[in-house]
Amino acid sequence: MDYPPGKAPLAILIMAVVSGALLLLFPPKIEHGNLQIWTFADAHYRAYQSVLPDFQAKHPETHIDLQLVHERAVTSRLRSAFASDLPVPDMVEVEIKWAGSFFIGPLEDIGFVDLTDELKKPRPDGPPWIDRIVKSRFAPYTARRVTDGVASDHIFGLPHDVHPVLLAYRKDIFDAHGIDAEKLTTWDDFLREGRGLLKKMNANSKAGEMRHYLLNLNSSTSDELELLLFQNDGQIFSPDGAVRMDDETAVQMMLWYVPLVAGPDPIGYSLGTAMDFELVNNAQKDELLLCTLMPDWLSGYYQKYVDNASGKMALMPLPAFKPGGRRTSTRGGTMIGFTKKSRQFDVAWQLGLKLYFDPDLRVKQFREFNILPPLREAWKRPELNEANAYWSGQPLGKMYADQADNAPPQYSSPYVGLARAKLGEALSDCVRYYNSSGAAGFEDFVRKRLKQSADEVRLQERLNPYR
Amino acid sequence: MANEKQYSAWRAQQRMAPYLFIAPFCILFCVFGLYPILKSLYLAFHTTNGPRSLVFTGFDNFRFLLQDPDFYTALWNTSVFAFFSIFLQLPLALGLALLLNSTWLKGRTLFRFVFFAPNLMGQVFVGFLGVVIFSPRYGLFSRFLTAVAGVNPDIKWLLDERFVMPTLVLISLWMYVGYNSIYFLAALQSVDKELHEAASVDGAGPWDRFWHVTVPAIKPVILIVVLMSTIGSFQLFELPFNLLKGTSGPNKAGLTIVMYLYQRGFEVGNLGYASTIGWTLALIVMFISLVQKKLSERVRGHG
Repeated sequence: MDYPPGKAPLAILIMAVVSGALLLLFPPKIEHGNLQIWTFADAHYRAYQSVLPDFQAKHPETHIDLQLVHERAVTSRLRSAFASDLPVPDMVEVEIKWAGSFFIGPLEDIGFVDLTDELKKPRPDGPPWIDRIVKSRFAPYTARRVTDGVASDHIFGLPHDVHPVLLAYRKDIFDAHGIDAEKLTTWDDFLREGRGLLKKMNANSKAGEMRHYLLNLNSSTSDELELLLFQNDGQIFSPDGAVRMDDETAVQMMLWYVPLVAGPDPIGYSLGTAMDFELVNNAQKDELLLCTLMPDWLSGYYQKYVDNASGKMALMPLPAFKPGGRRTSTRGGTMIGFTKKSRQFDVAWQLGLKLYFDPDLRVKQFREFNILPPLREAWKRPELNEANAYWSGQPLGKMYADQADNAPPQYSSPYVGLARAKLGEALSDCVRYYNSSGAAGFEDFVRKRLKQSADEVRLQERLNPYR
Repeated sequence: MANEKQYSAWRAQQRMAPYLFIAPFCILFCVFGLYPILKSLYLAFHTTNGPRSLVFTGFDNFRFLLQDPDFYTALWNTSVFAFFSIFLQLPLALGLALLLNSTWLKGRTLFRFVFFAPNLMGQVFVGFLGVVIFSPRYGLFSRFLTAVAGVNPDIKWLLDERFVMPTLVLISLWMYVGYNSIYFLAALQSVDKELHEAASVDGAGPWDRFWHVTVPAIKPVILIVVLMSTIGSFQLFELPFNLLKGTSGPNKAGLTIVMYLYQRGFEVGNLGYASTIGWTLALIVMFISLVQKKLSERVRGHG
């Protein structure tokens, strides 16, 4: 057969025609259920799969379609669908950083159902849900509106977690040097002892050789800075959404933090990612980082992927900024929201409560992923008291639960992601200043730089006609 | 009568035929090209928060853009990247093409494939790969530099603002030098050998032959590649987005215009402002293309 464009195009054409015909004749069975759920976390996806058959059996009229969608795709697809009035899933999990951006504009235009009344309803099995959950965890999923001078809070998501943070330290190293880390209850004590330990360990390393560092602290992104700011009662936004990242608490935090990651002898170091576990494994082998700020979810990943730290690490509450002060913080989070377009909110709500607040499921999830549920009654379960061999035999669940009620709030704003980036930019500049000029004029620089970042967020806020 | 009917049906068919042939393109273009373009222009003058919530803001978005420091940072970063794309990447690509075109080089086909191969992977995969290669202390790049030159293994290539752009440029060199060299190679192979022979007979050395024979002969291809590289550079998104894990990098060192557009549109949710950025980018690219077109006409005129 002669086909002028050539044999390869002919082969491609034949394949296209044949595969097209096959698809037409035998269309793939795509089961689009009438209750669709999007989750972005693989751990959640796997945990929910085990619950769905039972729930499905009790609701035979509903077909549940659980989909695992990448975090960024959830955000962009959901936003596009809300914006263009296209079909949306009935229930969606949204990462804490992006949640606020869905609560912009008049309440009636927000795509999620206002859950406030449902959460405050009295329940036959105990107090209303809102009183059974760690209160601070509603903050990131709450939008405040002021009408005639009266503020009202509207909750648009159920919190999946608390994500309290503890300090994971290399117990083997601290023990070998005769340091009882758990007695170091303030950051001043911890840094003093830690610097002494580092001095001994780094005594023989020369330029270009491996060094040891005390703590995972990033010098260019705001992750750990923000976590510590929250611990010290700082915030990026106030409850009514005003930018707070240049207030006195934030200034003092920056003044405290930068010398830890900059200057001639930094004690903080970052591998750039907490989630590249090959890197983390190598780092643990080399004793690169002696301590790590450890939210509950990260402890689960360590157990699964960081073999080199198994049995060598232990957890303790974060050292406090002041004696008797807060010993934890929070990092990360997920909400589940119910879209207004859903035609079966009641079933979706029941399923949401099952997935998020069913103690049996959440304890099972805890045993697999170390994620502490936000439901206080689940903390009493014996599984949370089990000794964990990876963490030097400590009762991991109890340790996180003991701190969970003190987890600080993170207030909502459509500009959380932007503000975090701006805080990171301010940090980068402050680090550069400190590296070149040291402490001279540093405080003035920090104040100006934080104000600049905050003003840049305020500038973007001006574009929001609904503010 | 029947003949007349047949004739008029045939005439109508003849008149309709061209429109039917181009109809699929027109329909697809209108739905997936023209409508989004016009819609984005409409959005550029609004702030939107869903289909029921649209506020006309006139030129506010454009006025805001002119005083937005982040936009200028993105524009600067993109321009720096474009500069290196043209003035570093293309000479290297041309050099590589000359090398691959040499008759004395054995295994040219293999080399061509090897240099072209990085482009087959795509920017997304290369971005992920870059994260591993350029990670501090344990990354291949850090280990190599430490072993060869005793460089500090803890340099944070993707976390230190001084190194982000050089890293991006380095990766794009790896990806695109081989790709662009294929264009140059095709052009070099079409240069008339007799011109070289005549120039040699007239006593021209290799450098003279390159400047006065090869370069004028491949000038149209050079201009096309410059234009494509410039436009491609201004549309840079996937590589820094994946390399920097969706962030702008330390102190916005990796923020490009398209990344900024994405952030404002899909992270903050301001589709109106994102459309404004998109239209501004389109105007910038159009302006650069026009300048390059004028320059190329002048160069051709001289040629």
